[in-house]
Amino acid sequence: MYEEVTGSLMQSYNICKRQVWLMAHQIIPDQEHPYIEMGRLIDDISYDRDRKKLNFENVVIDLVRNDNGNLLVGEVKKSSKAEKSAKMQLLFYLYKLKQNGIVAKGQLFFPEERKKVDVYLTSEAELEIINAMKDITDIMSKDKAPSFEKIPYCKNCGYKEFCLS
Amino acid sequence: MKKPVYIFSDGELHRKDNTLYFEGENGRKFIPVENTSEIMIFGEVNLNKRFLEFISQSEIILHFFNHYGYYVGSFYPREHLNSGYMILKQAENYIDEKKRLYIAQKFVEGAYRNIRQVLKYYQNRGKNLDDIIYAIERLGDLIVGTSDVNELMAIEGNIREYYYKSFDEILGNSDFEFDVRSKRPPKNSLNVLISFGNSLMYTTVLSEVYKTHLDPRIGYLHSTNFRRFTLNLDVSEIFKPIVVDRVIFTVVGKSIIKKDDFDGDAEGLVLKDKAKMAFIEEYEDKLKTTIKHRTLGNNVSYRRLIRLELYKLEKHLMGEEEYQPFVAQW
Repeated sequence: MYEEVTGSLMQSYNICKRQVWLMAHQIIPDQEHPYIEMGRLIDDISYDRDRKKLNFENVVIDLVRNDNGNLLVGEVKKSSKAEKSAKMQLLFYLYKLKQNGIVAKGQLFFPEERKKVDVYLTSEAELEIINAMKDITDIMSKDKAPSFEKIPYCKNCGYKEFCLS
Repeated sequence: MKKPVYIFSDGELHRKDNTLYFEGENGRKFIPVENTSEIMIFGEVNLNKRFLEFISQSEIILHFFNHYGYYVGSFYPREHLNSGYMILKQAENYIDEKKRLYIAQKFVEGAYRNIRQVLKYYQNRGKNLDDIIYAIERLGDLIVGTSDVNELMAIEGNIREYYYKSFDEILGNSDFEFDVRSKRPPKNSLNVLISFGNSLMYTTVLSEVYKTHLDPRIGYLHSTNFRRFTLNLDVSEIFKPIVVDRVIFTVVGKSIIKKDDFDGDAEGLVLKDKAKMAFIEEYEDKLKTTIKHRTLGNNVSYRRLIRLELYKLEKHLMGEEEYQPFVAQW
């Protein structure tokens, strides 16, 4: 059996199931891909003043902040294009925190767009996360990767050359 | 785009905080860490652990060459892309004789087809290569039917023997006669160029392997002994005819390298530094040349094609798609 569900798997889940499988098998995308390099850089330089990386279990949270006495956890993204998948990732963190008895508020940060989006773990969202986790575990345990399917996301994906070679 | 850095002078490699520099007779030269994929060292260079630590952290490979231009070895930083899954698949395909033979046959087939393509190109330009092409094609037909890797290696050796004979006809230059393939040390100028070019190719492929999840110690055609890098030798076979040999035809054909670019000593022939640099320039130019890729739909360089070849191999090992070697269209 493979490791547990992670934030990046949850993020991929809404984009491409094949990507979920590849990531889960540590076949990571081309690290020289311009978007991946850009993402690393944005993650590195944004919110330098107040950011604290938080590690617990198999979760790495980009940013943790005190928001008027409440805990605020944030996820930093390059663009809001894949907002839904970024939201799922953050909801997953909120869910994990809740499992550990920590109630927190979530916020997506898009520094390039100077945009922030609040994210709340509603009971509906919680159900969605639980279902997704089950599904991801299923995908990971498959013998082979889900076959390639061309989607608009492929154009700028770090796996593009791997899938299409 | 990350680029290789070549060092020919003697001197010292240093780490200064988070930068690297080379100190030689002509002063300090900084090496941009972010833009360097590998460092190719031909000169007499000193370095220390601090330097190696930083090189590892920056995921830069060092390739060392001796006075004759032969590959000596590499400082291959600890693997940064680890996939236990991929290593198991790689080993599984090695241990199973049938699976290993299939992959090995594909490498030889790729080499054969690209050799044939090079010969056809010169045949179309009026070179008398009919007999050699015929002989090579007969040998090429035997690849699929081989029953073990040794038999396959023998066929590959025979193909190469015929192929190298064609160099005299292609080059038509009495200063660069093939005679016989000689290594360690090469006995004539043409052999020096072949050895030098192949050494470069091995390191180029190794550098690309480093950026994939494959373990360079597990090869299929060249026997694995788990101590040396072999996968890069396997994949090089496919690209040697269309990259290295074409560079040789260019540098000799255009007289970029001439007879007096070689020095002789007791051990054998040595290519002068100036000529090595000229060869490398052509070689790097060739790797940068792009061709239109059918499934990707955009232009890719030869260097990138090597990476794609490794991706195809990964997909074969994963049981996704049968590996088919790259064959040049011209």
